[in-house]
Formats: sequence, C-alpha cells, structure tokens
Amino acid sequence: MASIVLRNVDKIYAGGVKAVNGLNLEIRDGEFMVLVGPSGCGKSTALRMVAGLEDISGGEILIGDRVVNHLPPKDRDIAMVFQNYALYPHMTVEENLAFGLKLRKMPKAEISKRVQEAAKMLGLEQYLKRKPAALSGGQRQRVAMGRAIVREPQAFLMDEPLSNLDAKLRVSMRASLNQMHERLGVTTVYVTHDQVEAMTLGDRVCVLRDGILQQVDTPQNLFESPVNLFVAGFMGSPSMNFVNAELVRDDAGAAVAFAGYKLPVPDSTFAEKPGLDAYLGKKLILGIRPSDFEDAASASGHSGGWAHIPTRAEVTEELGSEINVLFLIDAPPVEHRDTVAAQDTGDDEEGVLPLVGDKSLWTARVNARSHVRPGQSIELVVDTHNFHYFDTDSGLAIGHPANVGR
Amino acid sequence: MRRGDVGPAGGLLSAKMRTYGFIVSFLAIPLALYVVFVISPYIQAFYISLTNWKGISANPRYIGFENFGRLLDDEVFWAAVRHHGLLLLAMPLITIAIALFFSFLLNLGGGTGGGRLTGVWGARFYRVVYFFPQVLAVAVVGVLFQAIYRPDGTGVLNGLLAAVGLGPVGWLTDTGLALWAIMAVVVWQSVGFYVVLFSAGMSAIPRDVFEAAALDGAGRFRLFFSITLPLIWDTIQVGWVYLGIAAFDCFALVQVLSVDRGGPDNATTVLPLEIWRTAFTFSKFGYASAMGVALFFLTITFAALSLRVTRRERIEF
Repeated sequence: MASIVLRNVDKIYAGGVKAVNGLNLEIRDGEFMVLVGPSGCGKSTALRMVAGLEDISGGEILIGDRVVNHLPPKDRDIAMVFQNYALYPHMTVEENLAFGLKLRKMPKAEISKRVQEAAKMLGLEQYLKRKPAALSGGQRQRVAMGRAIVREPQAFLMDEPLSNLDAKLRVSMRASLNQMHERLGVTTVYVTHDQVEAMTLGDRVCVLRDGILQQVDTPQNLFESPVNLFVAGFMGSPSMNFVNAELVRDDAGAAVAFAGYKLPVPDSTFAEKPGLDAYLGKKLILGIRPSDFEDAASASGHSGGWAHIPTRAEVTEELGSEINVLFLIDAPPVEHRDTVAAQDTGDDEEGVLPLVGDKSLWTARVNARSHVRPGQSIELVVDTHNFHYFDTDSGLAIGHPANVGR
Repeated sequence: MRRGDVGPAGGLLSAKMRTYGFIVSFLAIPLALYVVFVISPYIQAFYISLTNWKGISANPRYIGFENFGRLLDDEVFWAAVRHHGLLLLAMPLITIAIALFFSFLLNLGGGTGGGRLTGVWGARFYRVVYFFPQVLAVAVVGVLFQAIYRPDGTGVLNGLLAAVGLGPVGWLTDTGLALWAIMAVVVWQSVGFYVVLFSAGMSAIPRDVFEAAALDGAGRFRLFFSITLPLIWDTIQVGWVYLGIAAFDCFALVQVLSVDRGGPDNATTVLPLEIWRTAFTFSKFGYASAMGVALFFLTITFAALSLRVTRRERIEF
C-alpha cells in the first residue's frame, strides 16, 4: 500500500487542449479518494496518468515514494478496473484472474491460492471455468474487481466501474465496494461522474472542473460548505437552489432580500463567515439546499432561525419518505457560468419547465407527512442558519476558509 | 392480409406461400445463374473427362476411366500437384506471418510509450504502401518482377548482388529456385490485403483490453501472443482459407512470369496452367477435363478439411 501524490500535474493534448491543469492532490495511504466532475473535466485523464496509460505533460506523480512519471504501467504496481471491465474474452474467469500473476512468474500454488481466495470473496467460485461472454454484467464487474484484488497492488484505480450496471445492482455493488475497501484497506482512486456514488464511497472527494481542482474534502464538508457555486450546484441531489439577492440590514437586523421575500440572517452567520458583512447593502447569490426546507405544518416544533416562505407547489415528486416540492420564485434564474456548468451534467432529474419564463424553479424537500398536491398553497419554512452566500462575480463562497483573503 | 378474404386455414396457407414466394423471388435469379454457369459446366466436365474429345467432333467417344489412368502416370501432372502442395503449405504461412507482423506494428507496435497504444510512426502511410501491390494487375506484377528477377546484371536483384561482388543468380531459371521466386511474388502481392484484414480485426479488439494487459504486466511480445493473436484467430482462419484457395490457382502469375510457361522443365507449373495448355494447345479436351476433375476434388478436400479444422468457439467481446 502506498500514498499517491500528484504535484502540479498537467495534461495537454495535441492542439493545446488542457485536460488537466496544475492538479495538486495527495491521496493518503489506505484512503478511498473519489474524483468527481462532469464529463470532460479531466478526471479519467488524471486517473490514466496515475496508471501510466497517458503521458504526463507536466508536474510529477508519486506512488509511495517513487516518482513514476516515466515508469511503464506494469512497473507501477497498481491495478485498474475499467468501465467496460476489459476482461480477456478468450480466457476463462480463472485465467483472467491468474493472467497478471502468471506474467509476474508467481509459483503455481500461490496463483491458485490467490485466485481461490478472490473468487470466494467475490462469490465467483462456480463461474471460474466460464468465459466472460457467459457472465452477467454484475458478474463481469466482479471478475474485473477480482483481477485487481489478486495482484495485491499498492493501489486500486477505478474508472467508473459501476456505470454499466443497472441502478439496483449499482447500489449493491457500491455497498460491496465499501466493504471491500474496509477489508483490504488498499489505497483507492475512484473516478465517477455520479455525485451520489462520490458521496457514499469516498473518504474524501475531489471535485474537478475543466481540469482544475475545485475542492477536496470529506463528503459531508463538501455538502455543508462548498467552496464555490460549481461545487454547490454539482454536489447534492436535488441540487441547490440559487437566487440573486441583496444583503440588507435594518432595525430588525440583517436579512437577505429577493423576489419579494426578506429572510433574516442570524448574527451567528456573520461570525462563521468572515467577510460577509462587507456585502451589506450589496448583491450576492444566495444558495439554499432543498433539504433545508420543511413544510411549516409538519415542522411546528422549530423555533429560532426558521423563516417562512408561503408559496404554491407547481410539481410534487413523491419519493416515499420525502416529497420534492417544486415551486416558483419570482426572480430570474441565476445565470452564472458555474451554475450553468453544474446543471449541464447534474442529475437532471428536474427537467426545466419551459413555462417558467423569467422565474426560477426551486425545489424543497419536505417530509412525506406533508400531503401537498400540485397547485396547492404551501407554507414552507427554511433554516436560515444553513444559507450559502456566493460572490456574484467570482462565484466563490463568501467566508469559506479556503476563500478568505482570496 | 385483408380481413374476411379467406378462412383461417386459407389465411395460413397464403401467408406461408407469401413468405416462400418472397424468398424464392430473391433466390431464383442467382440460383439459375449458378446452375447455368457453374454447376452445368462442372457436370459437363465430368462427362467430357470420360471421353477422348478433341474439341471438334460432335459425338466424342466414351473411353471410361482411361484419362484418369493416364493421369496417374503423368509426371507433369504430379509435378503440378506437388507444387500446389508446396504452395498450400508455405504460401499462407509466410503471408499470414508477415501480414500479422506488419499489422501488429501498424496498430499496436508503437507501444505504450506515447500513452495510448498506437502504431509505429507513419502507420497510415505504410498501410497505403502495403496495399498498393494488391491493386496492380497480375500482368503488371509479372512484368515488374521479370525486371527484378532478370538473370544478368541488369536485373534489380542481380544488380544488387553484383554490387556486393556476388555472381548472378538465375531466380527464374534455376529449377530449385524458380517456384520459390514465384511464391515470393504471390506473397508480396497478397500481404497488403491481409495487413488490412488483420488491422480491421485488431481494431475490433477493445483498447482497454490491451491496457488491462499492459497493467497486468504484458510486454509487447506477450501482448501479441497472449491477447492479439487469440482474439483475431477468426480473422486469421478466414485469411488461411482464402490463401489456401489461391494456392490452387496461381495460373496468371506463372503464365506471365515463369520461363517457358511453367518451366524451366515444369519446375513451376500448376494445374490450371496444365489444363489450359492440354486443352487449348494440345486440343486434348477429355484429358484436360480429367485434370480439372482432379483439381476439383483437391480443392473441395481442402475446403472441407479447413472448415473442419478451423471450427472453434466464437469469441464474444
């Protein structure tokens, strides 16, 4: 096992396209690091550079304490799981698992021991004599996993390994991946475009956009304090609601005003977000997570810090345990390059209604006990402590530790 | 089918007829052409081979298996059969080996040094160059190689040999060398086609399989023998059958290139050439037909054998 360090890594393709731009990333020994971002953000390229399948245009990559820039893939002591599994179609499962070991001149007894162990761990024992063509997608995926495991490498690299599986299988494979990492404790770099996968799998998650690192942190921190509009919009499903607002202060205290609403800003917020007071009387972008809303009727117990928003539900999505309430805010949608980029490849479960006009469609996630129906009026409350504030120009989160003084 | 036209039984029948009618309409013309221009000449040839027809008389005399008896003692016939055997063994092997080597270089030979697996530098250009001999007419190739093989110092090869101080070699006049010299031309001409064929086979293999193998520790040698070769085995079989069939022909090239049409001393002759000569030069149509029948059985044996031997489980990606 080893740590993986990327120092100012660049990847420039012919034609000058910068797929990865000055990437600095330290993956600790035994850590599960997820690289996430919309397609074309350079996450796969970064992974392939670690694997040695792509040249490194600039900077250096270390695995353990070795600089591996010029080592061929086979000498980097890593194993990779591909999106399309990349099994050898002419070999049986057993031969697939053993191939890498055979090439490394391992004694036969040791090979068969390791193959048996891996097969047992992945439940592949009865398929060892089959060819990949005779396996289901999930089974092939496990063989690909097994091929990585038997090698006992310094690190696992996984390039969207679950994206070819159906939704249900993906969830169960996600769980077994977690278990496997728990058990083997091997450093893992995992690439995905699915932010749910990123949140559930990663010890830490690295968000990339256009080859530039946006934020690296634990899933919880990414969710609670995104560093900029892009991360805020990309992480979390349904995605964060944005609106252009103005920060004001009057006799009643500080408040954000937008679309006819005026929601109080608690004093504690100014303490938590240094620099926010400089925006008093100025425009900023307000972000509210759908999960910070609640139906006033079923949230009667809440007291301080909750503001009321009376509105009308346009669409409701009942998810069983929760209901997504889509409602209109009388303000034009935020047209910042970061929010647009995050929306492009977001989960796109909320199709943009063409009828919205210059209003923005917001989502509130409320308890299923709220029996709101489309077209009904609903009184929403929102937790004002969890508001996110972003600069209108830079898109950076105001008062985020990484942005203070920037 | 319109409702109420026919009863259920009639409906079934007419549906069936309609299906067959559809199939028959597609098959009728090609099948008729095949029967008229392939099957019936074969049958005629079988009949003529049992006669002493000279190509003139309207009622050739039936002589039973006399022609075939003569064939068994015919030295030239056996020489031709031996040549086919040699061509059949050596020519596909050499062609496929060279074509595999080139197509591996063109597609994967660049190695992982440049990141992704790529061909050697200039692969596209080479692909065109390799294919070039394929589009040349056989007659042109023959004339071209006559210049190359010319026995005196003006020949390309002998000129080169003279330059390094070696005596001229009778490429086409030496009985031990002539057939190999002609085989070399066949190989030269066909390699390009098989490079293209195998390249197509190789590009059908998913890239990440090679990448997985590279990560598993396979070098270029292993990549070729453990991954590429097994995965394009189907294509190689097709190539082998094509080349095997071509080995039973070689008429045009031997005719144009060899000394004395199949010479010297029948050292390069092949059955199609002998058939042609026997029929149209010596006017022994009966005897020529007997040779044709023999060739027919040789070819069909090869085809049956190769289909049997090469049958294998198909690989799915």
